Amino acid sequence: MKNVIEVKNLTKKYKELKAIDDLSFEVYEGEILGLLGPNGSGKSTTINCLLSLLNFNKGTIKIFGKTMKPSSYDIKEKIGVVFQDIAVFEELNVIDNINYFCGLYIKDKDTRKKYVLDAINLVGLENYKKFYPKQLSGGLLRRLNIACGIAHKPKLIFLDEPTVAVDPQSRNNILEGIKKLRDEGSTIVYTTHYMEEVEIICDRVIIIDKGSIIASGTTDEVKHLASIEEKVTVEVVDLENKYLEEIKNLKHVDEVKYDNNILFITYKKGKNNLIDLIDYLKINKINYTKIFSERPTLNDVFLELTGKELRD
Amino acid sequence: MIVFNTFLKVVKSSLTPIIMFTLILIIFGITNFSTNDNSLNFEVTKPDILIINNDKNEGLTKNLIEYLTKNSNIIKVKDDKYKVDDALFYRDVNYVIIIPKNFKEDFLNNKNPEIQIKSTKDYQSSLAEMMLERYIKVASIYKSQLTSEDKIIENINETLSTKVDVLLTSKLDANNLNKMTFFYNFANYSILAGCVYVICLILSSFKNENIKKRTIISSMNYKEYNRKLLLSNSLFVILLWLFYCILSLLLIGKSMFTYHGLIYILNLFIFSICSLSIAFLIGNLINNKNAINGIVNIIALGSSFLCGAFVPLEFLPTGVINIAHVLPSYYYIKTNEIIKSIEVIDIHSLKPVLANVSILILFTIGFSVITNIISKNKQKIG
Amino acid sequence: MFYHNFKYSLKILLKNKMLIFWTFAFPIILGSLFKMAFSDIENNEKLDTIDIAIIQTEEFNNNQIYKKTYEELSNKNNKNKLFNIYYIKEKNNLESKKKANQLLEQDKIVGYLFLENKKEIIVKTSGINQTVFKYVTEEIIQTEKIITNLIKEGMSSNSTDQTINQLYEKIYDKVLSINENNTILKDTTNTNLSYTMIEFYTLIAMTCLYGGILAMTSINNNLANMSSKGKRIFISPTKKYKTIISSVLASYIVQLIGLFILFIYTVVVLKVDYGNNFPLIILLALIGSLAGLSLGVFTSCVFKNSENTKTGIIISLTMLGCFLSGMMGITMKYVIDKNVPIINKLNPANMITDGFYSLYYYDTLDRYYFNIISLIIFAMILIVISTFSLRRQKYDSI
Repeated sequence: MKNVIEVKNLTKKYKELKAIDDLSFEVYEGEILGLLGPNGSGKSTTINCLLSLLNFNKGTIKIFGKTMKPSSYDIKEKIGVVFQDIAVFEELNVIDNINYFCGLYIKDKDTRKKYVLDAINLVGLENYKKFYPKQLSGGLLRRLNIACGIAHKPKLIFLDEPTVAVDPQSRNNILEGIKKLRDEGSTIVYTTHYMEEVEIICDRVIIIDKGSIIASGTTDEVKHLASIEEKVTVEVVDLENKYLEEIKNLKHVDEVKYDNNILFITYKKGKNNLIDLIDYLKINKINYTKIFSERPTLNDVFLELTGKELRD
Repeated sequence: MIVFNTFLKVVKSSLTPIIMFTLILIIFGITNFSTNDNSLNFEVTKPDILIINNDKNEGLTKNLIEYLTKNSNIIKVKDDKYKVDDALFYRDVNYVIIIPKNFKEDFLNNKNPEIQIKSTKDYQSSLAEMMLERYIKVASIYKSQLTSEDKIIENINETLSTKVDVLLTSKLDANNLNKMTFFYNFANYSILAGCVYVICLILSSFKNENIKKRTIISSMNYKEYNRKLLLSNSLFVILLWLFYCILSLLLIGKSMFTYHGLIYILNLFIFSICSLSIAFLIGNLINNKNAINGIVNIIALGSSFLCGAFVPLEFLPTGVINIAHVLPSYYYIKTNEIIKSIEVIDIHSLKPVLANVSILILFTIGFSVITNIISKNKQKIG
Repeated sequence: MFYHNFKYSLKILLKNKMLIFWTFAFPIILGSLFKMAFSDIENNEKLDTIDIAIIQTEEFNNNQIYKKTYEELSNKNNKNKLFNIYYIKEKNNLESKKKANQLLEQDKIVGYLFLENKKEIIVKTSGINQTVFKYVTEEIIQTEKIITNLIKEGMSSNSTDQTINQLYEKIYDKVLSINENNTILKDTTNTNLSYTMIEFYTLIAMTCLYGGILAMTSINNNLANMSSKGKRIFISPTKKYKTIISSVLASYIVQLIGLFILFIYTVVVLKVDYGNNFPLIILLALIGSLAGLSLGVFTSCVFKNSENTKTGIIISLTMLGCFLSGMMGITMKYVIDKNVPIINKLNPANMITDGFYSLYYYDTLDRYYFNIISLIIFAMILIVISTFSLRRQKYDSI
């Protein structure tokens, strides 16, 4: 596999605060890479450095094998970016907005016309071509924002939280579109904090916190990194406290929570955890209405790895 | 209290334009109010004259200059072409007199020397020209009959010092009344702009959809909320009014403590309340925060220009004055002009003032009624 | 590419309603207000016929000089007609005076003449009309005085009654005839004297400088640290100077369209007089707009504040400049020019105003060119500084 992006020892300081701390990673051709991290972890800063929008203090960035500079127009030509904030002109309608940004890359008028229509179809804005941004709902606006970033059919696409505040229908539409782009041969770097999205579309993830990588690999690999293995949920009425203490001391149990007549048990490792639990309940004659076991989601992993305290 | 605090924050953020307008008013006040003699005797209007003397300053020439100096204000500027012409253009001088070389000799020897003049062609310059022409005429007559220069000068001076008595019937302190009228007319702009700007800004902040939703669902009764808003706004307007009253005291002085001064102050108060009602109406009509600035300027500048706040009513074309009759500012300013010339304050002389005040109050009621109708229809978010 | 960005910048600017209001509509509205307020002010300052009254006392009726002079000055056919005269003759002088006072109270007359053993003018207030009335009356008294003086001079040698009469007539004729051959004054005033024009020139200056907001908005759209759209443009393979120059050019064009409309409006509807040198008027407008443009470019490149603050900076600078160059009172410009000329030599609003003023008022062009050159220098300095700050390619923070 070819490396589309190679980042080595990237460090960026805002005065004394280290926003990115010695970050190194690669992005392979044709993959969707999920860049995860809580708010303020340095995701956007990393992308801005990659795009050479921001000065950084140390490190090298190579894109398509060449060092990225503000004047690397040949590299820039192949990149498309969808920023977190909506970046469209209020004064232009849907088709003009896409055409304007596409025109910064594609000079030939006929090609451009085709590309613009392709982008509109991709994000599903066929019925809104003449609408102005003001007239579009939040979801449609996000879709327009994406179309403006990718209309020129770039080889490398950065998507910085493109689905924030979007309803499930629009979100599915957007995710489908992103997959389609990958299938057409683009490499995609995708940042988000919606873990379900990552599980659906990303081939690989990198989790960043406080400017450094704390985990990377395929979603399964990352899940292994976290110490949780299994989650069991039991619906049980009025469980006495002494049982709760006893369950806590069962083999492999990491954490027990009882709330609202629902018992959550997290296991660290091991097999047959569910069977052991059912046996225990039977022996103690504890009645339950429902019991089920889950593999941990990426969300759990994420919380486990980055901690649960609130972020700004 | 919450309503009031939010109110204060908005006022604070929009103070800059109000301060700017007030500063302009103060600067104008100070520059225009500098002359401060309030004599009750007839005062001759003296034109501003600039003399460029290319002749020797002696004999008849000297006498001419002395005569002009006595009867006009002599303005001195640097003797360069632009400075003199600028002074004329900007009416720093009304009349420029350029006395040629050998004027005295040529004049006495009947060579008819030519005096160049430049004139602004207005009242003052006509007066200046009358003065100059008279001097030359008198001088010509004596010159044709007498030979000795000293004798001629002596006769000229004796003749020109003959005066007629002028009696003044008005006992009004015209100087200070003019200042008051100027100040209170200008306040039309500041009060109107200040009220409309600040109140529209506040209303639009409170009308911001999210805040409005919040206030609607909050425990505060909607009517009480509106009442508090009205109260805060009224308080603001009253403070603005008080501020201008105090400012006028500082600029004009103790003449404000007269019945005339009192009427100016009361008139401004009524106008301030009227402005408040205008501001409420506009605030209810517009929703776009960005548009406020434009609308304020059009309303405040428009009614100030059309109704004579900047240029006195007497100088406005009749067409403009006719249009002005539909604007409340006209009645406010008209009252100021009437007060200026009221000799004795009694029921009879105050009749036109009361008429104008009633019209202002009617305007206020009218605006309030319209505002109520509009806001009733707007109580739901839509 | 250049054209692509130019075309869209144009479209974006023209569709921005607030911008178009401030740069297109506001000056036109303000100009119309100026026109309405100032159109009569200069006419009102011209000496008009003055309404006066004369009480026909015996003394007045017997005095030929008074009678004739006032008749002449109130004659309809006299182009120097000065007075409208109410002659008042009631039962007695007291009644007449009462009547005259009534007229005075109603502001029908500015004053009246009462001639008995004492010569008196009665007026309500001081003022210019009253002063003119006083001067004219004094002139008559002084003419009388001249005649008596000259008779005194003539009497010393021959002193019979007959000769005195002859002398009187001779002198009387002489005194009146001097009135006619009085051609000694030569008026050299420049023809264009209308000072209210300055208001309209400051209006043009304001429009030129307000145009900076257009350039500022246009550039902000291109700057990665000012807008997310700017980030998008930054990461595209388009060269920065190309997008910036095409945007600035587009804003200049929009600015000129607005200025052109204003010019047409002021000339056709408001009848503003810019003098006769058409090409130089255009040149000044172009360069004035360039100064406004440079102010906008400078503000957008050098200051790091939000777009609203930048707009605020341009508006405040413009209004301050216009204030100093006479927009809120023409005297302000003169006072500054006379006392602290350096302020207005550095004030772009005044450079534009003064440029128009010198085209309108002066025949020579050196002052005009001084202003043109000042404007060019002003614009160049700001543009050079802006270019330096734009050359930086990366940002420390966004």
